[in-house]
Amino acid sequence: MNKEEILQADEDGMFTITLSVNGELGQMIVSRNESLVEALRHYGWKGTKKGCDTGDCGSCTVLLNDKPVLGCMMPAVAANGGNITTIEGLGTVRNPHPIQEAFVEAGAVQCGYCIPGMILSTKALLDRNPEPTEAEIRKALDGNLCRCTGYVTQVQAVNIAARKMKALKKKQEKTAAKEAEKAARRVSRKAAKKNK
Amino acid sequence: MSEIIFKPCSLKEMWEEMPNLPESRKYMAGGTDVVTVENAGFPSAECWIDISDIPELAIVREEKDHVFIGAGVKLNDLETYPFIKKYCPALLAAVHDFASPSLRNMATLGGNAGNASPCADGVCALVSLEATIVLRKGNSERKMPLRDFFTGPKRTKLEKDELIYGFEIPKKENLLGQYFKLGPRAFFGISKVAVALSAALDGNKVKYASVAIASVAPVPLYAAKTSEYLTGKELTEDTILKAADMARGEVSPITDARSEADYRRDMSGILLERALRSLTD
Repeated sequence: MNKEEILQADEDGMFTITLSVNGELGQMIVSRNESLVEALRHYGWKGTKKGCDTGDCGSCTVLLNDKPVLGCMMPAVAANGGNITTIEGLGTVRNPHPIQEAFVEAGAVQCGYCIPGMILSTKALLDRNPEPTEAEIRKALDGNLCRCTGYVTQVQAVNIAARKMKALKKKQEKTAAKEAEKAARRVSRKAAKKNK
Repeated sequence: MSEIIFKPCSLKEMWEEMPNLPESRKYMAGGTDVVTVENAGFPSAECWIDISDIPELAIVREEKDHVFIGAGVKLNDLETYPFIKKYCPALLAAVHDFASPSLRNMATLGGNAGNASPCADGVCALVSLEATIVLRKGNSERKMPLRDFFTGPKRTKLEKDELIYGFEIPKKENLLGQYFKLGPRAFFGISKVAVALSAALDGNKVKYASVAIASVAPVPLYAAKTSEYLTGKELTEDTILKAADMARGEVSPITDARSEADYRRDMSGILLERALRSLTD
């Protein structure tokens, strides 16, 4: 029996878990009943918002292994060994992610409390479905409640984000193709030199 | 009390290790109910057995006469199987109404049944599909109709250490399914009432019907009389209204934080009417 499969509380009743948050691998010391959102915020990832704490509002949405989950409904210990993405992992104020830019452009942010969750739900949607219909957008965001707006600008934001991400992907593909071409040319030049 | 969490990689490993674990222990699948329940002041167990990494519990497969869904399958993954669409339409309809996309990435049908809430959407749909629940403990296995598994709110026939292994859903050709849920919002809420209907039509005649209703009884309710009444009838307005009245007679709702008894009783009938009408839309 592999002892690593048993997590034992220390004398203070705390558990040590290892997980990656936004690409940073680290350890967290948590109690067994501590939710993932509590633990993340305790360790400084305060972009994740705690709303209802009962699984009703979706503001604590984070990505666990690229899938959206509710931080308040998941014990932190259940995320042991996982890869978490919070809003901080997407972009910064100086260098925002296209989805963040789109939410700003569409004016989809009022008080902003629900937005980190909405943006992460959007990220998960666009990763698996780059061109969603309005119905698909509404379905993907139906677990993120917003009490300021009327869910109109957010749908527009997702559409803008989809276009931005598509354009970005095209640009990246073009750059990659150019790089590959360059590399191929270098190889053939080297081969030509050798043959000489 | 020293708390521990045991996370086995296979059932074999789990059963082997079981005698070495503290006596006070319970299973955790998605974890969505465990913490909520404990934080609400219900007694905790010394050992949590985290079954989320056991591949055998994540099996979905089509057999000769039934479809098998493992207890640990995440609800969002069900949509990816064409035979689930064909043989479990009421379940897919319920999954769409089940909490939110992010919660469906965590929640499992095994957890939904184990938690034994009368309002469980997934369970209500499975009851209408006449699912059999498969329970395991070590090498022994037993099965029973899911509708007989519950003994009261949050209470089941599970014995100590017995594990919900999965569900068998009988295959029926040309099956239609509906799930009509009434909650505080259009999306993302706990139901005041919900009606699951699985049915097959031959022209306008009901060849087969099975009705289950959530949040109106101590357990997810199989509406036996209504189901029996509908089977074999022509689907006329008269049949629909009579079936709705019959459903109102079968439920035994209470008034609680989410809704009132009279409203729930009345809406049980109305949701069934809507579900029946939608069959021929």
